[in-house]
Amino acid sequence: MAEEHFVVVGNGPAGHQAAVTLKEKAPDAYVSVISRSRGSCYRPHLLPDFMAGKIPETALYVCPTDAYKDKGVKLRTGQKVVGLNLRERSVALDHKEIVRFTGLIIAAGGKPRIPEPLWIFRDLMLTLKTLEDAKAWREKLSRVDSVLIMGGDLTSFAVTRSLLDLNKKVFFMLDREAFWPLRCDRVMLEEAAHRLSQRGVEVIVDRRVKSMARVSDLACEVQLNGDRVRAGLIGAFFGLVPDIRFLVGSGLRIDRGILVDEYLNAGYEGVFATGDCAQIYHPEIRDYWVSIGHDNAVSLGRTAALNLLGGSVMVEAAQESIFEVQGIRVNTSWWMDY
Amino acid sequence: MGDAIRYSLEPEDFYYMGVNVPCQAACPASTNIPAYIRAFYEDRPDRSYEINRLANILPGVLGRICSRPCEDKCRHGEAELGRPVNICHIKRAAADLKQGLSRAVEGPFASFGKKVAVVGSGPAGLAAAHDLSTIGFSVTLFEALDEAGGMLRYGIPEFRLPRSVLDEEIARILEKGVVLRTGTRVGEDVAVEELLRDFDAVLLAAGCYRSLALRVPGETLTGIYPGLEFMMNLCSGRPPVIGDRVLVIGAGFTAFDCARSALRLGAGDVTICLRRTEEDLVVTKDEVLETKKEGIKIQSLMLSRRVVGSSRVEGVEFVRTRPGDVGPDGKRAITPIEGSEFMVPADSVIVATGQRPEPIEAGAQKDDQGLLLADKRSFLTSRKGLYVAGDYLTGPSTVIESVGMGRRAAETIARDLTGKAFREKVVRMEETEITDRKRTWDYLPRQDMPTVQPLKERFKSVNREVETGFTPEQAKEESKRCYLCYLHYEIDLRRCIYCRYCIDVAPRDCIKLVKEIQTNDVGAVTGFVETTRWREVHAVVIDNSRCIRCGECMRVCPVNCISATRVELTERWAEEGESRG
Repeated sequence: MAEEHFVVVGNGPAGHQAAVTLKEKAPDAYVSVISRSRGSCYRPHLLPDFMAGKIPETALYVCPTDAYKDKGVKLRTGQKVVGLNLRERSVALDHKEIVRFTGLIIAAGGKPRIPEPLWIFRDLMLTLKTLEDAKAWREKLSRVDSVLIMGGDLTSFAVTRSLLDLNKKVFFMLDREAFWPLRCDRVMLEEAAHRLSQRGVEVIVDRRVKSMARVSDLACEVQLNGDRVRAGLIGAFFGLVPDIRFLVGSGLRIDRGILVDEYLNAGYEGVFATGDCAQIYHPEIRDYWVSIGHDNAVSLGRTAALNLLGGSVMVEAAQESIFEVQGIRVNTSWWMDY
Repeated sequence: MGDAIRYSLEPEDFYYMGVNVPCQAACPASTNIPAYIRAFYEDRPDRSYEINRLANILPGVLGRICSRPCEDKCRHGEAELGRPVNICHIKRAAADLKQGLSRAVEGPFASFGKKVAVVGSGPAGLAAAHDLSTIGFSVTLFEALDEAGGMLRYGIPEFRLPRSVLDEEIARILEKGVVLRTGTRVGEDVAVEELLRDFDAVLLAAGCYRSLALRVPGETLTGIYPGLEFMMNLCSGRPPVIGDRVLVIGAGFTAFDCARSALRLGAGDVTICLRRTEEDLVVTKDEVLETKKEGIKIQSLMLSRRVVGSSRVEGVEFVRTRPGDVGPDGKRAITPIEGSEFMVPADSVIVATGQRPEPIEAGAQKDDQGLLLADKRSFLTSRKGLYVAGDYLTGPSTVIESVGMGRRAAETIARDLTGKAFREKVVRMEETEITDRKRTWDYLPRQDMPTVQPLKERFKSVNREVETGFTPEQAKEESKRCYLCYLHYEIDLRRCIYCRYCIDVAPRDCIKLVKEIQTNDVGAVTGFVETTRWREVHAVVIDNSRCIRCGECMRVCPVNCISATRVELTERWAEEGESRG
């Protein structure tokens, strides 16, 4: 029997958990994790705490890089997957290496979303997705005393809390699109505004950005319809979009994410997608949805691995915490915790 | 090295061109893309425009609104090579920056004393009329609407295609002596029968002007607009009244044009609803991006089931779809998922799910929907002298497909009327020096088209062109990115000493040690069987389908056994054997 080679693309919480589960359940298989970023898997939901200096960098990591070796997982960092060939069952890396697989789990994660109308201002905004982003925040925060938060995703509330702990003045722009991918109604908007105000945040409701400019090294100015805000930094927190451009033309069905069934299968034998990049159709809720957040990612990573090994574990459809936005349902319960 | 030029009509050479110059092979009009990009790089925008126009009579128009199948196949866009060259916008730059109109393409033929009626002045009709008049036929172009241009004028908004650009290029076509009769609807104002009596041949290229219906309950409610009707009213100066929340159902250019137009007409919340996914769109990525930048939402995997409302539309009920495989027609199959119904509120709904031709009585064989049947290669109907081309033959297609088809139809008609060929495709080969491209140019980022900013400026006028065009510097920078795939590199095995230096410097797996070269029945190379065992090596070959034409192999070869040839698929007059390109 030919040696099994399972390739996991992505080393975030979902990818890491998938790789560990694969090795645990199939110790004879060869398991490779290919990751664009360097270093070990870290917990992205702790980045706001790191940004605020509450925890050291070491506390972010799930395990040291040596642990992969100890577990028998081959970790290939700093390598970018640029293509997938389903017929030959291989992935192409940007340094032109071809890696063949017998089973594939794509856990490529997401990248910060900037709404298209704001693209021309994206160089003025900071995001917080990677450790490098967090380091940039940390460095810049020492020089400013105010921050404007735009959007309202999973990370924005945690960042706001960290900024308040650092005694920074925080402006928070809220509108119906603010909680993307969550669809926001008037009641939710008012409740969020109330809670933020109670903590001393200056909430700006239902305003549209007309222009944005850097007016000095330490200040940006945002022109709104009928208002103007000046802040040291602007944070963009509009959610994540799956980072799957490399799969275009591969034959996989792609919409906003990789379309998979409730077992995370992407429609090809031995090919699965998991974590933030999977767009799941679930018969129980009769709709598509994506699952975000650290705990969900870990759970999905494990599910994908078990199913790649022949299991039939169905993704849990958590009906009560699934929200709909722009035609996709999203499993999240984060913001109600705030 | 020398300047010897050869021409080939060998099938193996045409096969080579199809595989190795992917942009040109993907262009329905076979535009010589590397040649016009190179001309632009050499600071000759007029020549660049002219090379374009030899294959495509509307470079300025298509430099704005082409569907760009060439860019999908551009080698620079292959997995590890970055993004495709912005071919389309270099074409536009040549049109924008040309100093004057290039010389008219006149054929070496006197008038034949034969008359051809072309019905429809859209891209197919214009292309056919141009080519027929160029080679000596008297052409009358019939147009049902007030002005020439067909869908270009009445189906595409001015913010994507300024009418001055269209007018200029149509004028150049008409100046060949084409007689234009606007406001004449064939089938009503004049019968096809009459045309067949008065002309030696009739080409119907009347386009697709009948919008397809959704065929769901509630479709007749007030507030539902057929997409094409919506656009035609807008383009004719009769902007429709639209509400605040607008749903556009459809996935083609018309759907996107309707959505962006609705925004300019004052709608506050516009959503495009797709049955398939965004990845399945044929609309260009730039178009999708600009649409989103303007604030329009795109939702996918939803199929309309019924329109809801009492007297006027209040919303649409959709059902989720599951995408399947891509079929032979290039479209992805979808399956509605029963039980997944959901409602989307709306004040207006624009249905842009496709168009079909209007039936015209012509005394020829028809299909069960009353549409004329014609052979898709000869364009001939069951009736002698009656031809069909463009969207009227195939159903909705792209502008560049229509241009290509119009030209092929013209050639067929000319051949049928005179018994001889006028134009022929030929592979032109010219020995050349090593490329002067720098390797660093392979890493230049793609230049994106500048657009009107800030967004509010776009909406001050319904017709303001959104894409503002490359500066000369931007266009030249972009032209550097083209690999020039018309260069063919070859190793002369009689002189090769198998040192393998070329393999060492190759930037990707483009030079191969092979034990077998596979060919097809016309002798064209179709593949290689590689080997790593030295004793099996039969040849060292350059796989031109992988080669990025960097020239490094040629530079390092110690015995100069690698040569470069410029190979181009071009046209020549069949009688004189002289290349036009």
